[in-house]
Amino acid sequence: MLDEVTPPTDEPTRIATPKLENLTFQPKKNTVLVSHGRPPWYGEDGHRISDAFVVGIAGGSGSGKTHVARQIVRALGSIPSVVILSQDSFYKHHTDEELALAHASAFDFDHPDSIDMPMFASCLADLKSCQQSNIPIYSFTTHQRLEETQYLYGAAIIIAEGIMALQDPGLRELYDLKLFVQCDSDLMLARRLKRDVAERGRDVDGILEQYLRYVKPAYDNYVLPSQRHADIIVPGSNNTVAIDLICTHIRRKLLEQSHHFRQKMAIPHLYASPSGTVIPECKVEDLDLTILPQTRQLQGIFTILRSQATSRQDFIFFVDRLSTLLMEYSLQYLPYAPRTVTTPVDATFAGKALSVKYVCGVSILRSGGALERGFRRVLNDVPMGSLLVQSNTSDGDGEPLMLHVMLPVCVRKRHMAEEAWVFLLDAQIGTAAAAFMAIRILLDHGVKAEHIIFVTFLVARGGGVSVLRRAFPGVKIVTAGVDDIMQEGWLNHSREGEENLPGRQVWAMVPGLGQIGDRYYL
Amino acid sequence: MATVVSPVAPPQPATNQSHMHPLPPSVFTLPQTAQLEALYTIIRSKDTSRGDFLFYSDRIIRLLVEEGLNHLPVVKRVVETPTGATYEGVGFEGKICGVSILRAGEAMEAGLREVCRSVRIGKILIQRDEETALPKLFYSKFPQDIASRYVLLLDPMLATGGSAMKAVEVLIEHGVPEDRIIFINLIASPEGLRTFCTKYPQLKVITGWIDLGLNEKAYIIPGLGDFGERRYCE
Repeated sequence: MLDEVTPPTDEPTRIATPKLENLTFQPKKNTVLVSHGRPPWYGEDGHRISDAFVVGIAGGSGSGKTHVARQIVRALGSIPSVVILSQDSFYKHHTDEELALAHASAFDFDHPDSIDMPMFASCLADLKSCQQSNIPIYSFTTHQRLEETQYLYGAAIIIAEGIMALQDPGLRELYDLKLFVQCDSDLMLARRLKRDVAERGRDVDGILEQYLRYVKPAYDNYVLPSQRHADIIVPGSNNTVAIDLICTHIRRKLLEQSHHFRQKMAIPHLYASPSGTVIPECKVEDLDLTILPQTRQLQGIFTILRSQATSRQDFIFFVDRLSTLLMEYSLQYLPYAPRTVTTPVDATFAGKALSVKYVCGVSILRSGGALERGFRRVLNDVPMGSLLVQSNTSDGDGEPLMLHVMLPVCVRKRHMAEEAWVFLLDAQIGTAAAAFMAIRILLDHGVKAEHIIFVTFLVARGGGVSVLRRAFPGVKIVTAGVDDIMQEGWLNHSREGEENLPGRQVWAMVPGLGQIGDRYYL
Repeated sequence: MATVVSPVAPPQPATNQSHMHPLPPSVFTLPQTAQLEALYTIIRSKDTSRGDFLFYSDRIIRLLVEEGLNHLPVVKRVVETPTGATYEGVGFEGKICGVSILRAGEAMEAGLREVCRSVRIGKILIQRDEETALPKLFYSKFPQDIASRYVLLLDPMLATGGSAMKAVEVLIEHGVPEDRIIFINLIASPEGLRTFCTKYPQLKVITGWIDLGLNEKAYIIPGLGDFGERRYCE
């Protein structure tokens, strides 16, 4: 059944041109695959309650590891987010001598020492603990690790695969499930021969020489013995039953996790009473909010924004004006250091300058986008990321789902994130579910809580903000106003031609501003 | 508003406070925060590019206009919100217009219009009469009903106060009451402010920063040079 298998990809050459018949669903390696969004991975206290689930897959070259990994992804179906992490990315940085050998096909890529195991383990550990990882990129054309890295974040399931995946004890500790893909040596050699001749233009003698010199000894000495660490031995082909068993196991594990923690999850209405007003009653002083001075103009702007009679044009204008004021006010909380300048009349002025290494904005879509114009009027040259968090309406429990993460480079890289100041923008904090998730995402990346300034038009005192505050006391929340309560309601989404659609349960602030995103964009 | 409390943690204060104590009762400055000081530090520096000068002076101008508007009266207004609740708020009362003193005052118009959409803007050109060394009106063009409007008078630099006082004189001649004029200004000298406020005590002055004083050429020290020149010509 040689023609059925996917070519092994743990080898130092890469084929880039996909054939037309291969263009069916092929889960990509080293990419976070998302099917329906990621539910909360943290509790009401803001702490992480579950690690990502990690599967390690080892097996000989050509045994079908990638194939098995892809079958698992496909068979899992509707899972939150998966990444297949390939050992290939972790080939070591080579010295000039090693490079010369590699180009002469005389470098042993099949030896465990060719893999940067500590780095593999540390990247995997970061991903497992729900942090971002910037994994190395290895070029098979230059046989060298590239300067650039690839950013990965947000996978609930991680599949690490490679011939040496079960070799390193540090790696093994990270796996929740260890698989070994078994295949006969002759079949593996046959696949290798076929591939190298067809795709790499190599002659049979050379292939056999390499096989006998490096591949076979590595398999016998390192790869095969590592199968004793495996929980399950999977056949390389005709393995439908095995895949099914594995997927059932993974699903059960994930379900256990979510059952176990559901009660503690930060889903706002689980701690809200059904009558609409929310327990516990908290004083605005306890929320540690930074509230824009309530000037006459601000009150006038709010009156216009709150009125349902306000035209779209006016709404947009006054939202932009208010967001500009809010941003100017928020910028006061960045650190400033002394700076002396000379003026055009040759006088000196001992003033101040912004003293931060990185500043960026991140808006929580869609309604956080309503603050972006104000943001740009005040900070015109900083990066602006976005997060899409939506509440899950399909199963009715309304838990927030992380659908899209696009963060500025200064947050993606952990060493930069630790020094970055982030303005997190959302139109209002009601249930606080999206705010909660967004803050958790930034903290996962290494941004300091004290460096997060959440900027919003309106906070509901009786909403989720008290839980948010307890979980993240260090985050500064700057708001233009505070409303008292949250009220349960139904949002009708029927448009012309599609009447009688069921409404969607929402929590609305009272008196509130209505749906700011709709009023600003639609 | 439903609830009103003051900010929890005060922002970092500016080190370089205004050079005038006490302020005349009709003078209001922006909160002297480190952030505002940083904005001024950028526009004061002679090494600042024109693009940055425009961007950062616009930011200050917007804040000044917002502050100026807070001195206008409001009336109670009740509205219905999209959630069906009623909200007791306030509505803006009275018509306004801007008047810029050419040429530098024009630079503040964009900031004004960002805050007050499609506001009417009158213009005044005042120059020093070389024979008398006194400020002289060369040109003015106002909205017809200016006498019934609140006027935001725009001039970025208040040095000796000569042209600002001349402009106020012209506005009063056009029927605008003194207490309906709000003078909006980026940098003022203490001596200019004193003269101005003594002559027009009813007129509110919103200024961003009060500097040390004037040099022998009547430039504000430390100042930022010639605002119009930097904004338009350099």
